[in-house]
Amino acid sequence: MASTKNSIRSATRRWSWLFLGPVVAAFIIGFVWPFFQGIYLSFCRFKLISDAQLTGLDNYGQALADISFQHSFWYTALTAVVSLVLINVLAFMVAYVLTQNIKGSNLFRTVFFMPNLIGGIVLGYIWSMIFDGILAAYNTSILLNTTYGFWGLIILMCWQQVGYMMIIYIAGLQAVPEDMLEAAKIDGATKWQTLFKVTIPNVMPSITICMFLSLTNGFKLFDQNLALTGGLPYIIQPDGSTVNTTEMLALNIYNTFYTAGAGVRGVAQAKAVIFFILVAGLGLAQLAYTRRREVQQ
Amino acid sequence: MAEVSLKHIRKVYPNTEKKRTIRGGSEKQHNLLVTDEGVLAVQDFNLEIADREFVVLVGPSGCGKSTTLRMVAGLEDISGGELRIGGKLMNDVAPKDRDIAMVFQSYALYPHMTVRDNLAFPLKLRKLPQDEIDAKVNEAAEILGITEYLDRKPKALSGGQRQRVAIGRAIVREPKVLLMDEPLSNLDAKLRNQMRAEIIKLRQRIDTTFIYVTHDQTEAMTLGDRIVIMKDGVVQQVGTPQEVFDHPANLFVSGFIGVPQMNYFDAELVRTDDEYEVRVGGIAVVPNAEKQARLLSHDVQSQPIMLGIRPEHVSLLGETGQTLHGTVEVSEMMGSSVHLHLVSLGQDVIVIVQTTDIMGARKEGFSIAQDVAFTFGGDLIHMFSKADERNLEY
Repeated sequence: MASTKNSIRSATRRWSWLFLGPVVAAFIIGFVWPFFQGIYLSFCRFKLISDAQLTGLDNYGQALADISFQHSFWYTALTAVVSLVLINVLAFMVAYVLTQNIKGSNLFRTVFFMPNLIGGIVLGYIWSMIFDGILAAYNTSILLNTTYGFWGLIILMCWQQVGYMMIIYIAGLQAVPEDMLEAAKIDGATKWQTLFKVTIPNVMPSITICMFLSLTNGFKLFDQNLALTGGLPYIIQPDGSTVNTTEMLALNIYNTFYTAGAGVRGVAQAKAVIFFILVAGLGLAQLAYTRRREVQQ
Repeated sequence: MAEVSLKHIRKVYPNTEKKRTIRGGSEKQHNLLVTDEGVLAVQDFNLEIADREFVVLVGPSGCGKSTTLRMVAGLEDISGGELRIGGKLMNDVAPKDRDIAMVFQSYALYPHMTVRDNLAFPLKLRKLPQDEIDAKVNEAAEILGITEYLDRKPKALSGGQRQRVAIGRAIVREPKVLLMDEPLSNLDAKLRNQMRAEIIKLRQRIDTTFIYVTHDQTEAMTLGDRIVIMKDGVVQQVGTPQEVFDHPANLFVSGFIGVPQMNYFDAELVRTDDEYEVRVGGIAVVPNAEKQARLLSHDVQSQPIMLGIRPEHVSLLGETGQTLHGTVEVSEMMGSSVHLHLVSLGQDVIVIVQTTDIMGARKEGFSIAQDVAFTFGGDLIHMFSKADERNLEY
């Protein structure tokens, strides 16, 4: 008995690399290697990867001192928080309405979900046309006004993500037992009291998931930002540098790397590492939070 | 103060949504009446429930008992008729204003609240002062013996404990009418018996009207002051447990009430002048004087009938007198009695024999395929019309 077990185990060990190999190779080539090389490059001055020279923490100093980077951080944070609130409130409302046994709710669910199937770039251009179509009547453009650019992006994000979050909320709402809602009705709760005291506490897991999803989505947003305004309009700083007022973090990194000249590629790289730490921090916070809730229940 | 009156209550589910809304066993085959309006889930339900009465609605799944209860609760619209609680018309009153409470089969506790908060929830919604809430919650918890679990969440309780909490939440605000929808169905057999006894005790402690829905005839018999037996949305009989057991109104009721089920034989009712006798398998059974009189008062004529006799009313005999014969198929030893399954006259027949009555030679039991002779008296037979399944005496 024991020997067969051992031979199976050693065979597994011998063959395991054959099966694991392709995935491990792809993971190393596509993720691990570029990731660590990226971290290394963030400490270098380089035009091409082959001519990288270590410069210590210079890049990080420059990145943190960059006004446009600071601006994009606050702009991103604001966008993420505002979109988080709006997306979740709207998605919950739509999900709530569509779980009230109304006619055609399946059709509505499909329709609301569909924007999610369109890629960010396409969506950005479509909405820029829509906004400009309207704003042209007032002799302006979404590219000329920071406020329009901000709210335009929020509308776009809501339009794209409400349907997705709605699906999660619908699943959560449908898991709330009908009996419990009826019990609340008999216990004397009004519709609002039932919603806030019985329904919402019972869909808390869905709410947590959706909050973190929309928060990280907001922080990582790139395509839509690029296609809708590309960061415009810009203001010229006293020192001659420019700040794109609707530029989010990812776009700021991209613009630094590709348009600000080869001399600051290391700075873009440093910004990317800072960005990574930020997003990873959010992700870990989410994980820790959901784990703690699971233990509680 | 809290009599409940149901007059010509009916429930129609429009055809389009019948699949979604019929509750309680939509997977089974029903004989519900379907009209142009839709499916008639409850037809012409009439019942006057006295204050503090315990009424049990019983019937197979899909018979409309839960729908009726939910109409009283206000969870289903009433399609027609009048519902009055404490004299007031309640058809269009919201559930919360009917002064009723309900216990659900699934308990329907709020999982995010502690037991204490579950009990306090209906009181908080009524904006009672906190000290009054505490007093009432503690009292209800004590009645039900759940004081030590008050700070736990429902998840940390067993099925029986959860059911107590559900009952506690219902009695805490002293409703006029307490509705219970199959409250014991989710419990195992032993716990169910125990909780049944507790509901009887509970009833003595709280002054309220009970309407209790179950598919279990034992629960109905043991709990109810009166039983309402339903089938396919139609009330079959209303009466005390003794009445429905002794005088079933029709074939369905006779078969539904009593365990094991009543035995039936194809028989012939023969009227000679004003004397009746029942001929079955070559013997003649003469109904007792009471039954004779009732048959006569309805001017019942000679006709083929279904003869019903309960298993406990059949007696085994020797070869003397007029007897029927059967072959033993199964002999179930139950301890105090033996349930003997026979085949006689092409019918399955169950005979309950008390072990104290079993004579010497048979004490060791009955063997399969053994021939036994049995008989029954004219006092305990039931005669049902073959045409419409009614009890011919009523």
